[in-house]
Amino acid sequence: MRQSVFRRFSAPRMSLFEKYFVALFAAVVLPLLIAGGSEAWLSYRDRRAGLNSLLDAEARGAASKIQDFMEGIRDQLGWTVQLAWSEEPNDKRRLDAFLLLRQVPAVLSLTLVDGAGKERLFVSRIGLNRAESGEDYSTSPAVLGAREERAWFGAVTFQRGSEPFMTIAVSGNRAAAGVAVAEVNLKFIWDVISAIKVGRTGEAFVLDRQGRLIAHPDISLVLRADDTATKPLQDLRAAILTRPGEAVAGRDVTGSTVLAAMAPIPGVGWSVIVKQPVTEAFGPIYEAIWRTVGMLVAGAALAAALAYWLTQRMVRPIRVLEDGVARIGAGQFDHRIEIATGDEFERLAGRFNEMAGELALSQERSERIGRLKRFLAPQVAELIDRRGDEHMLDGRRVEAVVVFCDLRGFTAFSTRAEPEAVIHLLGEYYDALERAANAHGGTLTNFTGDGAMVLVNAPVANPDPALSAAEMARDMQVGVQALLAGQRAQTHQLGFGVGLAMGPATVGRIGSEGRLDYTAIGNVVNLAARLCASAADGEILIDHNAARAIGARLPLVELEALVLKGFDEPVSVFAMRLIAANSDSLSPDSSQRPTAGQS
Amino acid sequence: MRFVPSRLSGARSRTTRRDFFAFLGGAAAWAVPAHAQPSPMPVIGYLGSETPDRYASRLAAFRNGLAEAGYAEGRNVAVEYRWAEGQYRRLPALAKELVDRQVTLIVAPGGAEVALAAKAATSVVPIVFEMGGDPITVGLVSSLSRPGGNLTGVSSLSVEVSRKRLEFMGEMFPNTKLFAFAVNPASPTAESQLKNLQAAAGSLGLELLVLKASMEEEFDALFATAAQQGAGGLVFSSDPYFAYRSPQLATMAARRRVPAITQSRDFPLAGGLMSYGGDFEQSHRHTGNYAGRILKGERPADLPVQRVTKVEMCINLKAAKALGVTFPASLLTTADLVIE
Repeated sequence: MRQSVFRRFSAPRMSLFEKYFVALFAAVVLPLLIAGGSEAWLSYRDRRAGLNSLLDAEARGAASKIQDFMEGIRDQLGWTVQLAWSEEPNDKRRLDAFLLLRQVPAVLSLTLVDGAGKERLFVSRIGLNRAESGEDYSTSPAVLGAREERAWFGAVTFQRGSEPFMTIAVSGNRAAAGVAVAEVNLKFIWDVISAIKVGRTGEAFVLDRQGRLIAHPDISLVLRADDTATKPLQDLRAAILTRPGEAVAGRDVTGSTVLAAMAPIPGVGWSVIVKQPVTEAFGPIYEAIWRTVGMLVAGAALAAALAYWLTQRMVRPIRVLEDGVARIGAGQFDHRIEIATGDEFERLAGRFNEMAGELALSQERSERIGRLKRFLAPQVAELIDRRGDEHMLDGRRVEAVVVFCDLRGFTAFSTRAEPEAVIHLLGEYYDALERAANAHGGTLTNFTGDGAMVLVNAPVANPDPALSAAEMARDMQVGVQALLAGQRAQTHQLGFGVGLAMGPATVGRIGSEGRLDYTAIGNVVNLAARLCASAADGEILIDHNAARAIGARLPLVELEALVLKGFDEPVSVFAMRLIAANSDSLSPDSSQRPTAGQS
Repeated sequence: MRFVPSRLSGARSRTTRRDFFAFLGGAAAWAVPAHAQPSPMPVIGYLGSETPDRYASRLAAFRNGLAEAGYAEGRNVAVEYRWAEGQYRRLPALAKELVDRQVTLIVAPGGAEVALAAKAATSVVPIVFEMGGDPITVGLVSSLSRPGGNLTGVSSLSVEVSRKRLEFMGEMFPNTKLFAFAVNPASPTAESQLKNLQAAAGSLGLELLVLKASMEEEFDALFATAAQQGAGGLVFSSDPYFAYRSPQLATMAARRRVPAITQSRDFPLAGGLMSYGGDFEQSHRHTGNYAGRILKGERPADLPVQRVTKVEMCINLKAAKALGVTFPASLLTTADLVIE
C-alpha cells in the first residue's frame, strides 16, 4: 500500500521547483521585458528623430566646409582678374600668378586670358610657364561660362584615370579684366573631408552630379575612380533622395550598416553625404538593451534561486507529511508528524496527527463493536455502531423478558444422525431463531447446543416487551416446527419448547478480556429456564407477569400452577397456542410435560 | 514584428521596418566587438639603396606613415632592413634575401631601381614602392588607379618637374643661354628626363650641356666641366643617387662656385643654391601608410598609386650671396622655403 502510494506520486508531471520558477520568472522577467522593450522602442524613436536632425546638421556643416574650400579658390582667382589687360607684358600679373600658386596649393596651373579671349599667361607647377602665347580661348567653355556667370565650375575629370581634377574659371568685373582659368587638384579636398568627423567614427564623402566619388577620407577610394567599388555610396545617395530630410540606413563600401544624410553643394552640383555607423549612432540604446538583457539574466537567476529556496522550504515539510501520511495510512496510528515551520504546514501536520488519533480511536471502537456484534442482535450492534456508544451495554437493572427455548430429543438425534446432518440442522435451527429474534427486537445472548436465550427490553429498550417476546416465541415455534416437520418425516422424534418470563433482571456485559458476553441475571432467568424445561413440544409457557402484561391481546390459556425446582410455591403458568398449528400436538393439556431442567 | 508608428510623431521621425532592422542588426554588431586575433608580429622588409644615415629623414617620414595606420616598429610590426649602400647592383640580391626571409611585405623606397629590383624578386609578396618618376613608364604597374599584381606605391612627381628646374635656372640667369644638365646614365628614368629637358630647352630657347655621372668620383668633374664650358648653372636630373648625396653636391658646388639646382631640399639646406621637387616627406609618409594598410589586410591591387600633391621649391639666400647672384622676385615669390 505504502509502496504503491509512493510509486504513484514519485514522478510528478511538473515539479514544484518548475512551477515556482515559471511563476517567479514571469513575475520578475515579464515586467523587465515589457519595461525594457518599450524603453528601447521609445528611445529608438527619439534617437532616430534626433539623428535625423543631427546628421542633417552635420551634412549641412560638411557641405558648407566644402563650399568654403571651393569659394576660397574662386575668391583667390578673383584677385588675378582685377585689372584690365594692357598690350604690354605685365610682370606684376606674373608675380600675382606665382603668388596664387604658392597660396593655393590645390591649383595645379593657372591660365590668364585677356578680354579678347587670348592667353596672356600660363603658370604651372609641373609644366613650363608661358607668357603671351596668344592662344585663343574665346570659345573654351570655361571662358564662356565664366563670362556668363562670373564663376564657372567645370566637370570633374580623373587625370590618368585616377586623380580628380576640375577647372574653375573666374571672370573679372569688366570684360577687359579677362578670365582666370585654373586646374584644381581635388585631392586637396581630402584635408577638408578627413577633418570632418560625425560623432566618433562617422565620416563624410562627396559625390559629383554623376555619382562619382570626389572626396573620401580614404583617398585611395577616390583615386581608384572605380564606379563599381563606390556603388554602395551611390546607392546610399539614391536611398536618401527617396526620403528627403531624413537620415536613412544603408551600407557603405566596407559593408557595414550606416545612417546617412545628405546636403547639396550649390554651384558645383555635388552632394556631401555624412554617415555614421549604426552601432555608434544607436550605441546608448544598445547599452540600454544589453543592460535590460543583463537584468533579465540576473532576474532569471534570482527567480531560479528563489524558486529553489522556496521549493526546498516546501519540499521538506511535504516529505515529512508524505512519509507521515504513508505511515498512518499503513495503520501506524501512533505515528505523529513533527513539523515546526509555524505556518500552514504545521497546522496541516496537526490535523494529520489529530486524524491519526481519531483513526486510532475509531479503529479501537470498531474492533470493540466487531466483538460485540458476535453476541448482539444485528440491530443492537448497528445501534451501538451508529451511536458509537457502548454505555447501553453497561450493567443495570431493567424489567426484562427472558426467553429460553430448546429442542426435545436432540441428544438422541445427535447420537444417531450423521454429524453433517446434525450441524446442518443446527444451522437452520439457529437461522430460524435469529430471524424471529431480529424481527421482534430480541437480543440473542447465547446458544448452548440446542438451546438459546433471548432478551427483550435489554439492551434495546422495548415499550411492550411481553407482547414482543410472546410474538417472537410464537414465530420461533412456527419457524422451528416447520423445520422439524421435515425431520419428523425422517422418523427423528424432535420437538421444540419455549418458556418466557418477565421480571426485574440485572443485565450487562460479563466476562474477561478474551471472552465477553451480554447476559441477564436474576430470578426471572431461572423462571424462564424452568418454564422452557417444562414446556412440551410446540408449547410456549408464559409466567404470570408476562401474561398479565400481554392481557387479552394474545390467546393465552392459564394452566394449573406448576411446582418448579428452586421455587417454594407453585408458579402460575400460561400457555399460548399456535393458531395455525395442528391442535393435537399443540394443545397444552394433551402433551406429556417433560421434567423441568431437562434439555 | 510590426510597430505601428505613433500618430503624434511626424513624417520626420517616421521609422520604417528596414531602418529598425538595421538598428537591430547594429545591436548584434555592437554586442560582438571584433577582437584582433593575436598572431605573430608581421615583418616588413625594407629595401634601401643607400645607408640608414642618408635615409634618416625618409625613415622618420615612413614611420609616421606607419603610425597613421596604427603600426609602430617593435611594438606590433618588425622591420627587416637591407641596405645597398649606394651600390645599386646589389639591390636585386638584397630583394631576393627579403623574399627568402618570407617577410610580410616589401617596402622599396627611393627610386625606380629599388622598386624594379623588388618587383623582379617576387610576384607574390606585396611591394610598396616610392619613386620620383612615372611607375607606368618604367614598367612597374599598368595603371595608376588599378595597379593590379602585387605592387602599389607612391610617385613624388620629381621626374616630371625636371624641366621646371631648367626653367628656374633660366629665370635666375636671364642673360645666359647655356646650362649644364647632369644625368645618371644608370637611372631607368635618365633617357626620358633627358628627352624632356631637351624639349624644354627648345621651348625656352636655351642650350643644354649634358653631363653624365653615376658615381661619386665623377661628381667633381660635373662642376668642373660646367664651369669650364661656361654654363650659367648646373641642373641635376631627378635621381635618388644625386638626391641622397645632396651634402657632397652642395659642398662641391660651393667650392667650384657653380650655381646648381637639384630635386631635394637637402641640397639648399646643406648650402646649395636651390631645389625643386616633390615633397619626399609626403611620399615616404604615404609609403608607410600604404604598408600599414597592406599589413591590415588590404590588397595592393586595390590601392591606387598615389602621386604626391606637393612640389616644393627651396632657395638659399646665403648660397646666392656667396655666388654673388640674387634671386629674382618671381623665384622669391614661388619659393616655399627660403633659407637666409
